[in-house]
Parts: sequence; structure tokens; C-alpha cells
Amino acid sequence: MAVYIQSAAQITIQSPLCDDWFTSPIRREGRYFRSVEPDFKAFIDPMASRRMGRLLKRAIASAMTALDGYEAPLDAIVTGTGLGCIETTEKFLNAMLRDGEQALPPSFFMQSTHNTIGSVIAQRLKCHGYNNTFTHRGTSFDCALQDALAQFELNDISSALVCANDEMTEAYFQLFDQIGYWKAEEVTEAMFHHPTTEGSFAGEVSAAFLLNTQPTQQTFCRIEGLEVLFEPTDERFRQAVEALLGKADISREEVDAVVCGYNADRTNDEVYTRRLMPLFPQTTQIYYKHLFGEGFSASAMGYYVAATCLKRGEIPAHIRFKEGKTAQPKHILVYNHFQDKDHSIALLSC
Amino acid sequence: MNELISTLKQEIIEVLNLEGMTPDGIDDNAPLFNGGDPSVAGLGLDSIDALELIVLMERNYGIKLKNASEGKEIFKSVATMADYISKNRTK
Repeated sequence: MAVYIQSAAQITIQSPLCDDWFTSPIRREGRYFRSVEPDFKAFIDPMASRRMGRLLKRAIASAMTALDGYEAPLDAIVTGTGLGCIETTEKFLNAMLRDGEQALPPSFFMQSTHNTIGSVIAQRLKCHGYNNTFTHRGTSFDCALQDALAQFELNDISSALVCANDEMTEAYFQLFDQIGYWKAEEVTEAMFHHPTTEGSFAGEVSAAFLLNTQPTQQTFCRIEGLEVLFEPTDERFRQAVEALLGKADISREEVDAVVCGYNADRTNDEVYTRRLMPLFPQTTQIYYKHLFGEGFSASAMGYYVAATCLKRGEIPAHIRFKEGKTAQPKHILVYNHFQDKDHSIALLSC
Repeated sequence: MNELISTLKQEIIEVLNLEGMTPDGIDDNAPLFNGGDPSVAGLGLDSIDALELIVLMERNYGIKLKNASEGKEIFKSVATMADYISKNRTK
């Protein structure tokens, strides 16, 4: 069964709920950026949203934008999140400390679970169908997408909203800083091309994708397949790529571009080079984390970027990491890994 | 009592995150809850807000509600809340 990305919406460190990043991106140089937020009053009544943390508001706004104009029933909501509503979780824990675990605020408690996001979206959309949440660090969204595709394959659903939602609080940024997750110095775009040290820079992502089985004029692309791998050898990785391409009946040479999660971290980036160069030595490579930053939901923007390139039929210069073919893209491979342990590869076509 | 009412209104706004609302905008005697009926004037709070108000009274005034059925009268309005707090507060 063919599954299509019908629409997509994002709230990130780029201009929200639009694709300005494609033509006029906001260039970031620094270590830590929070999302640029839209006016949430356009999506949620202030009385209804007053208990929601920022991440929930972003999740609802991106979901509603992705579903704008969609009239058919929504069968499933699948969410990927590495940290859940961490800002609210921190408030809850701080209140526990402050009040000696005596008077715990119920709103913070209720929102301190990862699956709050998917359930709040479901409540807002009145979707009583399949609802699941995946938390697998940097491949959380990939796993959520894999689950949605499995539900399609089982014929259990014919539409799904697949979301990625993560925020980066000041406290969590500092914790990650202590384990070298971020660069000590401000990250510049040049560092992506010549990484000499470990660490990246932090961003935030809320993204929503509407998937169904009926292509329309507005369809972004078709999802040919997705593989999630754990600690694959280079040979196992090659086999998975070949199997993915074989399923879509295309050769490696027909892949127009590979989207990679280069993030200016020397160790992280070396994995992409080592895994991909033997397989796609002449293929265009696309990068996106210089625009959206690093975080557990960052990989969703790889899919977003690939889908947008396929829909628009071009790959703008500012996301080309390595030049290859310049033809209008028809097939784009999205490759993401987290610490060379969790890997995902997906093929999108138009 | 007026000072307590004013303080309480500010605390309610903060704990319930009533964006855009000021203490002056809350009528002392208006119902806090409308039972889901929007035609009833007042703040239109819900059951989770009630939990937050119980926590507020415990944390800020040292009052532990022992009988849940009392809540309906206590949380009728800001004025009834303030009245109950003034008679039962331990801090």
C-alpha cells in the first residue's frame, strides 16, 4: 500500500508554520536557540491553553496546520518525542522540592508524561483512533513513522498524523553541555563543512505530517519505505539500503540526493561519510541541522526538508552539503543516526 | 478581608495561568465554576482548577480540606474562598 505525505507543518528555530526556510532561511550562529513561536491564540482559546506548556501549544498548532483543509476522518496519531514535556516535568519536580512533596500541582503532574503530547492533540482534534508515542532519543520520530507505516500496511488505518515534538530547556541544555553534547564555542555554518571538534548547537522542533493513501495535487511525496536499524555493521547497512531501494525498484544511481544529519560534530558526521560514501559517492547530499539545530526530534526536519524538495522539484543551494546531480529530484533517501547506534533510512519519491 | 481578597485573586490568576486577566476583572461574588454552562457568568473553571485551588489553599494558607463536600460552598466565589481562608488559615 502506497503511503503519501499530504501536508507538513513545523515550528522550529526558523519562521514558524511556513516554508520561508526554503527560500530565505534564518542563519543561526550560536549554541542554543528556542523555537520561533506563532500566535497560539489563532489555534487555541487562551482559556483552554492556559494549562498547556509551550511544547503542547506548539504540538497543537503544528498539528492543526498540517490538517488545515483536511476533512476526512483521521485514524491515528503517532508521536515521537525524546524528552516529552520536559519544561513541565521540571516545574513539577521543582514544586516537589519546594513543597516537600506535600502539595503537588496537578496540572504539572498530568503533563509530565511523554504521551501527554499525543493525547492532547487527540483531544483537540477529537480523534479517538490509534494513539501511540515513541521515545527513542534521536530516532524517536523515525520510530513513530515506522509504526504509522506498519499500521498502514496492516490495513488498520488509512490516515495518520505523525508528529515530532521536543523542547530544550535551559536546565537540560546545561546537563547536555556537561557531557559535551554542545560545542564549547558558538557554532558557525563553516563548522558543518569542516568539523574539528565534538558537539553541535541546540534547537527545538515541533513538526507534524499528515499521511494517507490517496495522492492529490497537494501531495508532497510518497514514502517508499523506512528501515530502523540498531548498531548495524557497514554490510548490514548496505543490505538495508539495497533492500529499501529494491522494494521501490530503483538503483542507487537513481537516488537524486541523500539527506544527512550532519551537525558539525566530528564524530557524528564521520558516521555519515563512512556509511554513505561507498554507496553514494556521486550523489548530492543535503544537510539541514545548520538551519534547525540539534535535538531529539531534529531528524523529523530531515524528512520535512526531503519532502519539501520533492514537492517543489528543487534542492536550494543553502541545503546542499555536497554537489552531485542537479536534475529535478525524484527520489531522496533520508538517513539519520543517533550516536552510531540507532539508525534509520527512508526513501521518499515523487 | 479586602486585602486577602485582592491577594487571593492574584494567586488564582497565577496558579491557574489566567492570561490577560487582572484582579480588578474578577468579581468578588461571581461563580468560579459554571458546571460547563457558558451562559453562567464567572470564571468558568473546571475540576482540574478545583484541584489547583485546593493545592493553593494548602500551600499558601496551610489549610487541608478534610471534607470534599465542603468544597462546593468554599469555592463558590472568591469572596467565599477568602471567608473560609480567613477563618481556617494556619499560616
